[in-house]
Amino acid sequence: MTQVQLRAVRKEFGSFVALEHIDLNIASGELVALLGPSGCGKTTTLRMISGLDNPTNGEILFDGKDVSEVPVRDRNVGMVFQRYALFPHMNVEKNITFGLRVRNVSPEEVSERLEEILDIVQLTQFRHRFPAQLSGGQMQRVAIARTLITKPSVLMMDEPLANLDTNLRGEMRRFIRDLQQRFNITTIFVTHDQVEAMELSDRVAVLFDGRLEQFDTPDAIYHRPDKISVAKFMGASNIFECTVADGMIKAGFADLAAIGTQAFAQGERADAMVRSEAIRLLKEPQDGAANQVEGEIRTADFFGATVSYTVQVGEHELNVDEHSTEKLETGSRVFLQLPGDRIWLFPKRAN
Amino acid sequence: MATQDTALDTRSGRRSTAQRNALFLRIAELAPIVIVLFVLFGGALVLALLQSLGFAPWFGINTFPDFSYFGALWGSSAFWVSLGLTLYYGLVSTIIALIMAIVLSLALIKPFRGKTLYKYLYKLPLMIPYTVGIALAVLMLGNGGILSRLMALVGMIDNPGDFPQILKTHYGWGIIAVYVWKQVPFMTLAIYAVLLGIGRETEEAAAILGATRRQIFFSVTLPQILPGIVSSTLICFAFNVGAFEAPFILGGGYPDTLPVVAWRYFNDANYAFQLQGMATVVSIGIVAGVILFAYLAVYRRYERMRGRA
Ligand SMILES: Nc1ncnc2c1ncn2[C@@H]1O[C@H](COP(=O)(O)OP(=O)(O)OP(=O)(O)O)[C@@H](O)[C@H]1O
Ligand SMILES: [Mg+2]
Repeated sequence: MTQVQLRAVRKEFGSFVALEHIDLNIASGELVALLGPSGCGKTTTLRMISGLDNPTNGEILFDGKDVSEVPVRDRNVGMVFQRYALFPHMNVEKNITFGLRVRNVSPEEVSERLEEILDIVQLTQFRHRFPAQLSGGQMQRVAIARTLITKPSVLMMDEPLANLDTNLRGEMRRFIRDLQQRFNITTIFVTHDQVEAMELSDRVAVLFDGRLEQFDTPDAIYHRPDKISVAKFMGASNIFECTVADGMIKAGFADLAAIGTQAFAQGERADAMVRSEAIRLLKEPQDGAANQVEGEIRTADFFGATVSYTVQVGEHELNVDEHSTEKLETGSRVFLQLPGDRIWLFPKRAN
Repeated sequence: MATQDTALDTRSGRRSTAQRNALFLRIAELAPIVIVLFVLFGGALVLALLQSLGFAPWFGINTFPDFSYFGALWGSSAFWVSLGLTLYYGLVSTIIALIMAIVLSLALIKPFRGKTLYKYLYKLPLMIPYTVGIALAVLMLGNGGILSRLMALVGMIDNPGDFPQILKTHYGWGIIAVYVWKQVPFMTLAIYAVLLGIGRETEEAAAILGATRRQIFFSVTLPQILPGIVSSTLICFAFNVGAFEAPFILGGGYPDTLPVVAWRYFNDANYAFQLQGMATVVSIGIVAGVILFAYLAVYRRYERMRGRA
């Protein structure tokens, strides 16, 4: 419903630079995840979009209009705080209806919308409880309901799922996605969980140290990161140096066929990444298979559905994830196939 | 066991000199416990109550139980005027101090230049005794005081004598000024601490939800700083009702506030008035106790209502 733009936004706290220079265009109705390590400036970004803080430099636009002069209460944004910020002296009903009551919505409409939202967040039976009498997940749903009931045009959520157990977390993810699609609200969602960011969002903005590293679809961020730092943050473990030559890459342990080499000059140094789940692990070599290397299993870590192997290949170690149906012993001889279309190359200059 | 005996003895009324000496001896032996149990936990109050009911053998008076002191006191209209004045000074100064303290603590929460210095400055009255405050009030606010001279100097009044009477009237502006001057920092300290504890997030959440500053203050901030308000007003009001120096020096004379009335009785050459004084003191205690208890009860109910048993 509202398009949000950040143009050259910078934020300083005294001499400390929290955000360096952020350009971000969020389309109307889009769900964007702000992803980054602790302290990288995610909350600060949300606070400036909501108007709680002002950028030191740069501007923020809603639907193309600069909102720097628009006070918080008139921006019609919603924010679910990292620590919920429920009103401790109000019960669930009063907390949820606060935003309507201060805007003088008629009591009939207030109670109508209250029933509707209580039903959506499944808090009807807790409506008379106070925040101190609720569990973390319930408080969080109150915080979401309190925000959604005001029908904000931009919804911001600051790690809303951080305090939930795995089951409830999955449930709430679907719930948020449903709501977002139902109301088509432009949503900015902060998280430092990569899986959560990829599952929920249309696009992911990766933030490091107050800088926007990459803003792209989950697929691109995961498979085609711009920088090694992003790749590493997204959990990539097999990153190695190589030289590009004749449509091939020469890594320390083998020469491999790879796509995307045409973007590099003959003999150019590059970094290559291959996802550990993209590598095939075989007990016997396959005749004539491309990009096949021989190695020895060093470690095997069991993760339930998968086993993570470290395989020694020449001087190098490669990480391979396999289904845990058959577990191989450490010390076994194995053969690895690195599919050429799953090798991603970073130019050296990008890092 | 021994303590129980003492208590029984005290209640049994008449006794011989020998018995009395024995009692004192025993009290002396038990002094450490007695001091803690009795003096700190209301022994003085019990003694005052006994005296006000006619038990004062050390003055050669013992007509216990004798309600005539209370009768004489409560029967006179002057007492009720005094009570009214006492409560009026106590209440008005508490309310004024509270409002100023809330404004001040809200201001202190925000960052501003010179905040560190200011945070020291505003606490200054806490370290200055009441009596100094009273002297300052006399110097500043009296006819012929600094304020009156200043106003005469700039020509707002013809001579310092025309300065409006602030001290020594039953409006008690001098008394209220001293109480407020001393208690604003104290209340600010308490409320500021609570404000720091609740943080700014609920207020920010309210702003995002569309509340005006006024709505935020009354429906989000105020209810949350209530614990600080209740505890500090409780202490200040109790003090104001029982305090004696300020109304004695700055008050409007007869009819005086109850603590001053009591003090006059105690200072009377006639020992019998001591008991009348005690009846006054006990009356103050009862009134203050009932008010404070009711105040606390209402507050507790409110807290329970919001789910904080
Ligand atoms: N009011 C402030 N004054 C000074 N520094 C601040 C202030 N607010 C935030 N910072 C700093 O700015 C940086 C970014 O903070 P921010 O709260 O945006 O991090 P975050 O990405 O939300 O981290 P987390 O995932 O831990 O919540 C941090 O280094 C923080 O210490
Ligand atoms: Mg944060």
